[in-house]
Amino acid sequence: MVLTWTVMGKTTQPDPLPDGTMRHSRRRVLRVGALLTLGGAVPSLTGCDLFNQEPPPDPLAPMVDEALVLAAAYRDAATTHPTLAGRLTPITEAHAAHAAELARITKVALPSATPTSSTPANSDATLTGLRERERAAGESATRACLAAPAERAALLASIAAARASHLEALQ
Amino acid sequence: MNTPTPGATSAHAAALTAEYAAIWAYGPIGVRLTGPDQEAARDAEAAHRRRRDDLVLHLTDAGDSLPADQAGYALPFPVTDEASALRLAVDVEERTAGFWQAAVAATNGAERERALAALVDCAVRATRWRRTAGNIPLTTPFPGRTA
Repeated sequence: MVLTWTVMGKTTQPDPLPDGTMRHSRRRVLRVGALLTLGGAVPSLTGCDLFNQEPPPDPLAPMVDEALVLAAAYRDAATTHPTLAGRLTPITEAHAAHAAELARITKVALPSATPTSSTPANSDATLTGLRERERAAGESATRACLAAPAERAALLASIAAARASHLEALQ
Repeated sequence: MNTPTPGATSAHAAALTAEYAAIWAYGPIGVRLTGPDQEAARDAEAAHRRRRDDLVLHLTDAGDSLPADQAGYALPFPVTDEASALRLAVDVEERTAGFWQAAVAATNGAERERALAALVDCAVRATRWRRTAGNIPLTTPFPGRTA
């Protein structure tokens, strides 16, 4: 706020023109307009009742969905290709267990509806697709682990390691 | 981002003793294996040696005292053949993963990144050994977590 007012004080100074008259440059007028908009937004934010706001979403909440989508992809792949079921079912269960743990620590309710997924008819293409998903999910768990507070880091590390081992199991 | 976390030193020291034990265990494991499996055991042992050396350097640089390596370690079961050697290899990787998982929670920044990489390596090697041993399933839902 202080900064805004100081800058506004400066920018509202008119420019001297060659003929000695004063006028506001167009750029400065625009800048003042932008600052006024910004300045106007600040009191409305600070003016809010402290306990009347929605808490910010948990940064790990999207990982619950990510794990559920992965579980659905493996479940669908195992149904479409029963010969792969032996390899895919334990991984399906691991992703579902990850979703449950993530939901528990983020206090997010697990959705009752399971995400839908579509599996290629070709089993090689199916495995390639699952490997791609697993690689991306491993990277997302790694990023989350490195950014997490200590009490969450161990779970996220374990999930990252599980995803890396799934990738190995799909080789 | 690399501020020392309370407990980081003891977590690293514990991981180091786990790496000592893993290196030692790959001795009896290797002699019971042949061909590519023996080669995999040698590679795994070399990977654990690299982790050990890295930890020794890290703890020394920080001025921390090093836990002593033992002349020998008690095996959880006798290793008498290929099957028991593979079972021990899985066991070693699972146990070592547990120490690295604890180190993840006790560190941040580059130290956490290192601990996470070590945990991931242990989990991947455990999966490979389960495949060699013919174990089903090949993976566990929460590597590093002690049951």
